[in-house]
Amino acid sequence: MATAETPTGTLDTLPDSLEETLQNLKTPIEHIRFAVQSDINSSGSYGEEWFVLTEAAIFTVTGEGDVLHYIPYESVFGIRSEVVVDAGLLVLETEEGTVDLIRYSNGCAAKFGFVARFIGDEIEFRKGKRDEAPIWDYKSEDHSCKSCGLLLPDEFSPCPACTKKHKVMLRILSYIKPYRGRAILFTLFIIAGTLISLVPPYFSRILIDDILRLNELANAAPEASETQLGALFRGIQPVAIALSVAVGTLLSIQLIQTILSVIQGRLAAWLTFRIAANIRAHVYKHLHNLSIRFFDKRTTGTVISHITEDSERLQDFMLEGLSFLAVQMFLFFGIGGVLFWMNWKLACLILIPIPILVFGAGWFWKKVRSLWHRAWRRRSKLFDVVNDSVSGIRVVRAFGRQKGEVSRFGAANIDARDYETHAELIWATYYPPLMFAIQLGTLIIWYAGGLDVLAGSMSLGTLIAFHGYLGMFYQPLRYVSPLINWASRSITAAERLFEVIDSQPEQLDDGTLKAMPNISGEVKFHNMTFGYDSHKPVLRDINLHVQPGEMIGLVGHSGAGKSTLINLICRFYTPDSGQLEIDGEDIKQIDLNDLRQQIGVVLQDPYLFSGTIAENIAYAHPDASMEDIITAAKAANAHEFIVKFPDGYDTEVGERGGSLSGGERQRISIARAILHNPRILILDEATSSVDVETEKKIQQAIDRLVQNRTTFAIAHRLSTLRNADRLFVIEKGKGVECGSHEELMEKQGIYYKLVETQREAANVRAAAQAVER
Amino acid sequence: MENKNEVKQETSTTDTTTKPESSEIDDFTPRYLDPTQLTFTRSEVGTARLEIQNEVCHLRVVVRQLMPLSNPAEYISIAADEDTEVGILVNPSELASESLKIVQEELDKRYFTPTIQKIYRVKEHFGIHEWEVETERGRVTFSVRGLNQNIKQVPPARLFVTDVRGNRYDIPDYRELDAQSYQQIQRHL
Repeated sequence: MATAETPTGTLDTLPDSLEETLQNLKTPIEHIRFAVQSDINSSGSYGEEWFVLTEAAIFTVTGEGDVLHYIPYESVFGIRSEVVVDAGLLVLETEEGTVDLIRYSNGCAAKFGFVARFIGDEIEFRKGKRDEAPIWDYKSEDHSCKSCGLLLPDEFSPCPACTKKHKVMLRILSYIKPYRGRAILFTLFIIAGTLISLVPPYFSRILIDDILRLNELANAAPEASETQLGALFRGIQPVAIALSVAVGTLLSIQLIQTILSVIQGRLAAWLTFRIAANIRAHVYKHLHNLSIRFFDKRTTGTVISHITEDSERLQDFMLEGLSFLAVQMFLFFGIGGVLFWMNWKLACLILIPIPILVFGAGWFWKKVRSLWHRAWRRRSKLFDVVNDSVSGIRVVRAFGRQKGEVSRFGAANIDARDYETHAELIWATYYPPLMFAIQLGTLIIWYAGGLDVLAGSMSLGTLIAFHGYLGMFYQPLRYVSPLINWASRSITAAERLFEVIDSQPEQLDDGTLKAMPNISGEVKFHNMTFGYDSHKPVLRDINLHVQPGEMIGLVGHSGAGKSTLINLICRFYTPDSGQLEIDGEDIKQIDLNDLRQQIGVVLQDPYLFSGTIAENIAYAHPDASMEDIITAAKAANAHEFIVKFPDGYDTEVGERGGSLSGGERQRISIARAILHNPRILILDEATSSVDVETEKKIQQAIDRLVQNRTTFAIAHRLSTLRNADRLFVIEKGKGVECGSHEELMEKQGIYYKLVETQREAANVRAAAQAVER
Repeated sequence: MENKNEVKQETSTTDTTTKPESSEIDDFTPRYLDPTQLTFTRSEVGTARLEIQNEVCHLRVVVRQLMPLSNPAEYISIAADEDTEVGILVNPSELASESLKIVQEELDKRYFTPTIQKIYRVKEHFGIHEWEVETERGRVTFSVRGLNQNIKQVPPARLFVTDVRGNRYDIPDYRELDAQSYQQIQRHL
C-alpha cells in the first residue's frame, strides 16, 4: 500500500515506555506513522488516550497500552472531527458502520482536526479522487512566547510575561521625550513645592516658642532658642514687629506655594493631554494596519474601549496619579526625615499605628473596591435593561408588554439599589474607624510629647510643629492602597494599548513586496484551502482560473463558503495552503495598498459613512471632481433620486445611512464602486434587499459597472447572475461545478437543481398572484 | 453514509412503514416520542441505535438537549443523523433502564462541559489566571486570560469560565461552593 508521505514528529511523540508496550502486544503495533494524544478518555474523564496510525490500521490505546479500537485502514472510507459541546469527537466511517473513535477537549481540537483532514485527503488520494497526495503541513495553533514559552491567547498578542511592568512604565515615559524640557521643569516644581510646604509648621514653632510665649516667659529666665532662626526672631523688638515679620513670611510662603501649584497644574495638564493624544493617535493608526483577524477575535466594544477608555484611564493617572504619587512619596520621606531630626524618640512613636494603617487601609480598599465594582456591574445591567427596551420600544408596544418591561426594570433597579446601599454601608461603617487609627498616632504624640513639654525637655512650639508635620506624614499612607490599585490598573490599561501597538500588522514590508499599480485582473486559485480556524476548513482544494474581465457567478447554499472566497480575494485573510494568485503573483506578495486600490466591493448591506452623499460617493478618491461624482451617480441610477432630495448631493447620511432606503443606499454604494474604478469587482448579494422595480434599476447599474472588469458576484436569486460568463458552484467548501449556465443546465447537477427549485418557487408565486387578481 | 444507513434500515427493520421525508411534506408539528415505544441499544462498533416499536430502526442516533443550561435532564431531541430530527423525548427517565443508560452516555459524550466542584487555587501570573479545580471529570488545571471577558455570569449565580484553549467550565451556583473555593472566586471577581 502506497502511503503518501510519512510525517515526522511535528505532532505528539509516544512515550518510549508506551511504544515498548505496544510492540510487545500479542499482535504488536508496529510501523507507527504518527500518534496523537488526547486528554480525555473514553469514559469522559480527564486522562491520557492515544490515536495511533500505522501503515495498516488505526488504533486507539490507553496510556497504559490497552488497545480500545483496532480498525484496518482499508476498511475506513471517511473520517471527520465532530464538534460537540465544549469538546470534540473523531468519527470514522467504516465498512462496519460509524465509529466514535476518540474524544478530546477543545485544547486538542486543532491537532485532531488536522489529522482528520490529512487522513481524509489520503483516503481520497488512494481512491484516485484526488490528484495530489496531502501535504503534511501541521502548524501548532498554540501560540507560545518565543522567549519564555508562556501560552498566548492568540498569535497577535505580545507575551505578557516578557513585557514587564517597569518596561511598560518606561514606555509610557518614552512618550514624554518630545516634551522633556517641560517634564523636567514639572519635576523641579514638584520638588520645590514639596520643600516649601515643609516650612509653615517650622514657622509655627518659631511663632510659639520665640514670639508668642516670650511674654509669658518674661519673668522666668528665657531659655536659649532651640533654633538659629528662632534666636534671630527673638532679637527683633518689639514683639509685635517680630510677629508681623513672621506672619508676613508665612503669607509670602503661602503665596509662593499657590503660584507653584498653579504652574505645576498647568504644566501637568499641558503635558498629559499631549502624551495621551499621542498614544491615542499611535494606537488608532496602528489599528488600521492590523489584520482583519485581529478584529474577528475582539468585539467592536473591546476595540473602541482600547482607544477611548484605556487611553483615558492612562491619561487620568498621568495627570493626577503620577504627580500625586510623586508629591506624596517626596512628602513622606521628606517629612519622615524632618520628624526624626526634630525628635527621634517621638518619631519612633508615630511609627506605631503605621502597620495598622497600611494593612487596615489595604483590607478596607480591597473590600470597598470589589463592592463598588459589583454595584457598578448592577448599574450597567440596569442601563442595559433601559437600552434594550427603549431600542425595542415598537416591539414592546406592539406586544403590549409595557408592564412587563417596567417590572423588569424595577427588579434590576432594586438589585442595583441593594448593591449600592451595601457598598456605601461598608464605606460608612469602616472609614471612620480607619480615620480613628490615624488619629491614634496624633493622640500618642499629644500624650508623649505633652509629657516632654511638662517635663520641660521639649518646647511647646516643637510639639505643635511636630503635629503639623504628622498630619502631612500620615496623608499618603491613607491612600497607599487605592493608589497602588490605581497605578496597577492604569498600567494594565497601558499594557492593553501596547498590546495593540505590538500586534503584528497585516502585511510586513520586508522589501520583497511587489508593487502592482496596474493589475489586469487575472485571478487563479490552485488547491487552495482555508478556514477561520485552520482545523475547521471552510474552503477545501479550490481550483479556479479567472481571465481578466471575466464575470464569475458564485453559487451555493448559504454557509457553503462563497463569502469566504471573496474575503480571500480582498486578502482579508490568507490561504492556509495552496495558492491564490493575481496576475500570476502570489497575493501575499502584492503590496496591499496597490491591491486594494484596484478592488471594489458592493455589499448586501452597504455601509455609508456619516457625511454627505457626495463625500460617500467619492470615498475612495476624496479629490474627485463634481463631474466625476455626477457621472458615477448617473451610471449607478442614483442621480435621479439624489436630485430630488432638498439638499441634493449635500444630503447628510447618518450612521448606516438611516435616512435613505435600502435601494438608495445600494445605488450610492454602486456609484462609490464606479468612481473607485476597480480592476476586480466584488458583488455580494448586491440586489437581495430591494423590491423588483428597484432591483431592475440596480441590475442596470451593475451591468454598466461590471464591463471590462473581473467580477465575482454572489446572488441567491440566480436570475441576477444571467450575465455571468461562468458559474462556480460551491458545495460544503468545495468547488463542485464550473461552467456557463447552459453547460451546467445540461449537466443536471447541483446548479440545475437550484435553478429548478427557484423556478418552481417563482411559478408558485406567479400562480398565487394570478389567483389574487 | 446516508445511503448506507438507509440500505441497512431496510434490511434490519421488518416494518419500514411510511417514513415521512421532511423536505417533501410540510409537517411542522413537533413529534413527541413515547418512551415506552423506544429501545436504545449499542451496535458492535459502539454507536447508539434506536428502535421505535413497529416503525423504524435508526442505526446511529444523535441526542441533543433542548435546554442544556436550564433543564438538561428533560426535552431531548433525537436525530437520525446530524440534520434529521426523529422526535423529542420529553422525559427520558421513563425509558427502560438499559435505554436510559445509553441516552445518558450519549449525552455525556455530546455535552462535555465539566462542572467545577472545588477550586484548589487561582493564581495570577502576568494577567493569566491559572486555575486548579476538581470537576466531575477529574482534577484539571487550566489558564484563563482577562477574567472579565472570560467569565460569563448567568443570573443569579451561575458562572461559565472559558480558558485560553476554548474549553468551558461550569459553576452552577458559586454561592454553593465550599468556603475555600468561594473565597478563591470572590478574591478574583
